[in-house]
Amino acid sequence: MDSLVALILLLPLAGAFSIGIGQLFGKLHGEAGEALTANIATWAIALSFLSALALLSSDLLGKNAGSFSAGSWLGSNALNIEMNFITTGFNAGLATLFSLLLVIVTRFSINYIHKEPGFHRFFFVLSLFSSAMLLLVLSGNAVGTFIGWEIAGLCSYLLIAFAYDRPIAAINATRVFVTNRIGDAGFILGIALCYTLVGSVNWSSLNSGAPQLTTGTATVIALCFATAAFAKSAQLPFTPWLARAMEGPTPSSAIFYGAVMIHAGIFLIIMLRPLFEQAPFAMGLLAAVGLATAVYSFIVGLTQTDVKSSLSFAISGQLGLMFLECGLGFWQLATWHLCAHAVVRGYQILTAPSFLHYVHGNPMKPVGRDIAGLRWVYVASLQRFWLDPVVDRILIRPTYGLAKDLDYFDDHIVDRIMGAPAPAGRAISSLAQLEEKVLRTQFGEDTGTFGRGNGWAARFLEWLAVIMSWFEERLVLQGIGMDAIDMGRKLGYAANKFEKLILKPRYLVLFVFTVLLFAASL
Amino acid sequence: MAMTEADFPLLSLVILLPLLGAIAIGFIHDLRRAKRVALAVAVIELIATLLVVYLFTPASGEFQLVEKYAWIPILNIEYLVGVDGISVLFLPMSALVTLMAIVASWNSIQHIPRFHLSLLLALEGVTMGVFSALDIVLFFLFWELTLPPFFFLIGLWGIGSHRRGAAMKYTLFMLFGGVPLLLAIVMLAVNHATELGGGIPQDLSFSLPILLQHPLPGDLQVVVFFLLLLGFGVKAPLFPFHTWLPTAAMEGPAHITALLTGLKLGVYGILRFTIPLTPSASVEFSWMLSILGAVTLIYGALIALQQTNLRSLLAYASISHVGLVIVGIASLNMQGIQGAVFQLINFTVVASSMMLLAGFIQHRLGSTEVIHLGGLAKVMPRLAAFYFLFTLASIGVPGTNGFPAELLLIIGALKAHPSLGVAALAGAILGAAYMLSFARRAFFGPIVHGDVSQTQDLRPRELILLCAPALLILVFGFFPNSVLHISQSASEAWLNRLLSFVP
Repeated sequence: MDSLVALILLLPLAGAFSIGIGQLFGKLHGEAGEALTANIATWAIALSFLSALALLSSDLLGKNAGSFSAGSWLGSNALNIEMNFITTGFNAGLATLFSLLLVIVTRFSINYIHKEPGFHRFFFVLSLFSSAMLLLVLSGNAVGTFIGWEIAGLCSYLLIAFAYDRPIAAINATRVFVTNRIGDAGFILGIALCYTLVGSVNWSSLNSGAPQLTTGTATVIALCFATAAFAKSAQLPFTPWLARAMEGPTPSSAIFYGAVMIHAGIFLIIMLRPLFEQAPFAMGLLAAVGLATAVYSFIVGLTQTDVKSSLSFAISGQLGLMFLECGLGFWQLATWHLCAHAVVRGYQILTAPSFLHYVHGNPMKPVGRDIAGLRWVYVASLQRFWLDPVVDRILIRPTYGLAKDLDYFDDHIVDRIMGAPAPAGRAISSLAQLEEKVLRTQFGEDTGTFGRGNGWAARFLEWLAVIMSWFEERLVLQGIGMDAIDMGRKLGYAANKFEKLILKPRYLVLFVFTVLLFAASL
Repeated sequence: MAMTEADFPLLSLVILLPLLGAIAIGFIHDLRRAKRVALAVAVIELIATLLVVYLFTPASGEFQLVEKYAWIPILNIEYLVGVDGISVLFLPMSALVTLMAIVASWNSIQHIPRFHLSLLLALEGVTMGVFSALDIVLFFLFWELTLPPFFFLIGLWGIGSHRRGAAMKYTLFMLFGGVPLLLAIVMLAVNHATELGGGIPQDLSFSLPILLQHPLPGDLQVVVFFLLLLGFGVKAPLFPFHTWLPTAAMEGPAHITALLTGLKLGVYGILRFTIPLTPSASVEFSWMLSILGAVTLIYGALIALQQTNLRSLLAYASISHVGLVIVGIASLNMQGIQGAVFQLINFTVVASSMMLLAGFIQHRLGSTEVIHLGGLAKVMPRLAAFYFLFTLASIGVPGTNGFPAELLLIIGALKAHPSLGVAALAGAILGAAYMLSFARRAFFGPIVHGDVSQTQDLRPRELILLCAPALLILVFGFFPNSVLHISQSASEAWLNRLLSFVP
């Protein structure tokens, strides 16, 4: 039954591809195509859920081998990354739960997104996300999990920017993706360290080899994965992205940030339990960050005035508690907390738009007296502890500033030194310019733009050329050249004179006699 | 190094066919027919190069399909061509990019169009020569012959007002790079003669397989290493010799810039000649090479963050990516080398396709400057979809071909120099930032310019043209072994030979 994994992953992927290609070539278009798109997406994820259910049942009956491999994905010398999957226990159970939630949200969205301009795009992304998320949960190696991890993040980007003509949505989407990218860098670093230090990227080898690792090595690897998890699950200092991400349509918020994707970080930590148990410092960090996030989210959540933002802080707070539980070693509790939170929060966000309707006439309780009096906490809470501006100040602005300086450096210094041989502003690009240039040359007004360079290298060459040409003109041509011609001319005159002289008859006769006399004397 | 000779001169055919096509177009006066002939030649060339890959045996790390004829016997210069696992895939990729360039410029070239087609085909033939030449003088000949077509293509059909200047700048940079190359070639040949104790003209050798068997003495090797690095670094381009690329990208026609950014001849030269010919010096100075790569990587990425024009953004992005490839090569391990070859092949698909897309936008709106764009996704959903796919490939998102290549490069770099691996990761974060910020400003948001709302989406010709690279991106991304198994044996041979010189 292990091979069912392939079906679980490929069905939503095939769904996504058919919707994508159909839309690209204009087959799925407008309201007329909505039914077909919705059917493809629903059936794909529903069948995927049934396969997951079958996989889980066979696991509960003890019929699964525990892993399934579909051959090598990437091989380079000793690095061999397989397409292998885990088909038992936590992973299979979570895959079933997630696919069930995905089915519900997909069905819910059909009505919710109806007649929106991006209907087909939405279901394309949702199907792709389903496949990615299930790959994340089921993959047997770190690279597979990362592939799911990153594609899920990409889908989140695409759905935050669902209403892409709204500038705020587009800005938030980009910010969220780039923030998550920092966590991804931690993940990649973790993968690379796994390969170099443990010799394999399979989760099973990493976990079984963990007890043999030294505490230092285990801590370094664990910290890399912890960074990735903190970013994905919106823990401090990455928490602000979550509130920005709520920009997307409600069903997507529910499935990404309420039910499924937001739990990817904590899932990773729970799966790497043996590794973290080998690294006490990393465990301590998990607990500390989890606790800090929970407190932060609680305080900030108090002052939120709209449903979606207060839910977003409730989510990061609950996830903080899960990290705290993991850090303290209550792994089983964290696992159940994850599953329960996924279900409850998914429901809450789906119903958020009608929330006000439900609580009508039943207003929220005011904050407790002892907290309500703390003015600075109130300000800090309203400002969300200035996390976004601080990150802007210490990370983003300096980066952009550096970029600006380098850009200047490149244009004004590197380019100058290397030289732009053609005068950039003076190149001839039209006939009129050419004519003007020719005329100017004729009237002797040309000050020598020809052969003139920009940039230090070119200037140097130009300067050298001026000296050389002076040398050539003054010394070579005048000194040797002109004199040689004069001399030749003078010699020519002299020879001519001499010839004229001896060609006169009397001198000729004298010459002949002289020759004869010589001959006689010999 | 052993070689397998070819029964049929297929590589010569691959080199000569486009050159003959270029000449033939000179005699066809009817433009429509000339275009068809050019297209037919490009298609046949693509099939011929695919045949080369088909006939190639990946299991062997040797040079294959080798052809050898005496050329200048008095100096022992030969016509020697062949391919191995490192170079073989560049042939079909170059053919594909040329074909794409011809189709992309189908209607946009109005001015002396036949000469344009001739030059494109001539460039293709010469490029094939660069990738298959195994005699260093022959290589140098092809290398320098790429100059005139580029000079005319940029200078005559450029879209910027300073196209002549850009063409001149490109040419001068390349000529400057050629000098150290020639010097290094002469030093290599002369050394071979003196090493064997023979006379200068009769015992010279320019054949790469022979020169590989007799490495230079230590001091000379360092000199030749730096000469070759300088020569190829200008073309790669490596910091600080990169300034010709943004100029050419801004001034040149988009389909030619696509060739410039797609065909990374300089990096290929480093991989094929610099490091194998100077093994000890390369190992000794690999730290310098990797720092140079890392500087280029971060430098290019940061400057790209500041660009407001798509074409110069792509040029700096391309510089940044070259930096990562150099870091991978300098790691001197299998993952680094295979990742580098993989990434170089990706460039031909991704970087050139993005340039072509920039050209489509330029052709429609007359600008790729961000203030003239905004809200493009609304009117050109298909173009936006392709742009996004290529962007994702460029920043290495899984599912695209960029991911396996970058993964290998980063693993290779981390194994060799951990701190540089971290630089590579920083580059990956910046990559997402500059690519997506530009996409946000150009494609998202409301439409602010009237002429944008009048614009047409991709036409069928352009749609089909872009499907080929899009498909390759996904196929290579889903099945990276299809590329890796071709370069496996050759990379192993390359690396083992190199490591045998480490004391």
